[in-house]
Amino acid sequence: MSHLPKSNLWQTCSACKRHVHQGQWGEFNICPYCGHYQRLNADQRLVLLTDTKSFTALPPVNIKQQRHFPGYTVKLQEAQEKTGETEAFLAGTAAIKQQKVVIGVMDSQFMMGTLNTVVGAGIRQAIRTALSQRLPLILVIASGGARMQEGILSLLQMNTILAELTKLNEAGILTISVLTDPTMGGVTASFALESDFVFAEQGATIGFAGKRVIQQTNSAALPIDFQTAERLYRQGFLDAVIKRENLRTYLGRLLMIQAGDLNE
Amino acid sequence: MSDALKVIRSADRIGTQQVIAQLITNFFPLHGDRVSGDDPALTVGTGLFHQRAVVVAGVNRGATLEERQRYHFGAVAPAGYRKFIRGLELAEKFKRPVITLINMPGADASVAAEDDGQNLAIADAITKMNGLRVPNIAVFLGEGESGGALALATSNRLIMFTNSLYSVASPEAIQTILKGHVAAKQTLDHILPMQAAALKKLGLTDVVLPETGDLVQSLDNALQQQLAQLSKLSTAELIEQRQNKYLELVAQFAE
Ligand SMILES: [Zn+2]
Repeated sequence: MSHLPKSNLWQTCSACKRHVHQGQWGEFNICPYCGHYQRLNADQRLVLLTDTKSFTALPPVNIKQQRHFPGYTVKLQEAQEKTGETEAFLAGTAAIKQQKVVIGVMDSQFMMGTLNTVVGAGIRQAIRTALSQRLPLILVIASGGARMQEGILSLLQMNTILAELTKLNEAGILTISVLTDPTMGGVTASFALESDFVFAEQGATIGFAGKRVIQQTNSAALPIDFQTAERLYRQGFLDAVIKRENLRTYLGRLLMIQAGDLNE
Repeated sequence: MSDALKVIRSADRIGTQQVIAQLITNFFPLHGDRVSGDDPALTVGTGLFHQRAVVVAGVNRGATLEERQRYHFGAVAPAGYRKFIRGLELAEKFKRPVITLINMPGADASVAAEDDGQNLAIADAITKMNGLRVPNIAVFLGEGESGGALALATSNRLIMFTNSLYSVASPEAIQTILKGHVAAKQTLDHILPMQAAALKKLGLTDVVLPETGDLVQSLDNALQQQLAQLSKLSTAELIEQRQNKYLELVAQFAE
């Protein structure tokens, strides 16, 4: 427990553990002491990446059946109260540096952005919108992987999303992944790494198996930069590691190249 | 479920090598992924199934401790998924149906697998199976968990032995997140369908095979029957049937 009074004005940096006043985080939510990027919710991410007031959300996903896993309903309610969102994914059309895109953002503050039936449906909807409106698709990933509480149905989000994503390749539509902290498990073994361009935000943890599980089965110490964006970049899995402050400009410049494509 | 787990994890459980030896003649294995090496945990090759050329990919768990260590307890490595994709390309080139045999634990949790791009290798294999231009049939001889199992199981037909299970994670891993909500492991399948019968009810599994009698013989019959059905479909119909099956299933819950 913190010795500070319970207030939203002060938060503890998860990296350096120092107390940071709300006003000190700045526009990009960066720790003034150690430079650590605070995790963002979907709304904060959209504000940073898209042109002012350009975002229009897609219609909400129709939830038909809820899984009855013990304790799950309560967990969902808690996440909804905490974030003000119905689920861990938000998508819509928006402009980035005046160029129209479909953008989908996963929310790590909602049950660690885990992939379930609703999030999966939202991602497929975003992909279909990009296809029907012929707009580039940008997916900002923040996820701990498949949501265990929905069992096999969570796993089946991986192949169904990939099947839809393939259609964008056939239709010649640009796909971009931005991996943020954390990008783990099932999302990395499906859509996260399959886009035309895969970027990561500086300092993001990216991997498949969890560090704890790996440590249980391997006696040797893990490499110091294990499962970091920087290591994956060096290994050739990422096209760039980008500072949060530069992401929007970076994406805007990539989108701009499309104007030079021949239109048939 | 504990009894079923005991059966499918036992040393004398029907395995890939046994199925290939009894059902496939002239079997020729592929060796290596032509990138980083060979993964002995996954056998991939081609041969004849009742005179018809097929491609088979099956996980090896091993019976003895020595075998199990050699096969890495059936944890398929990135090189294994890449070899699998080689097999799928061969199948498409010669229009050969693909049969996968699954009994594997979850992910290969190691630094080497992470550094070698396990996630991307799995995603590539799922993508290839999604759009495969020839029939594919997945057979669960035992358990299959996580993305690796999905890569082998994304198919036109799913055949499961009664005791086998297909899950997002191992029953033990799911048990830990239940944290005392459910005491007995026996009820896990009711909360989260993962065993053959429950998955058939969900619409995921097409054929459930009994655990009694000659298992290889009943698998032989089921494979022949399903292959005969799929042989009538065109390439476009095969891809559509496969993708729609999964899309319609998940759309029952949210869309
Ligand atoms: Zn800090």
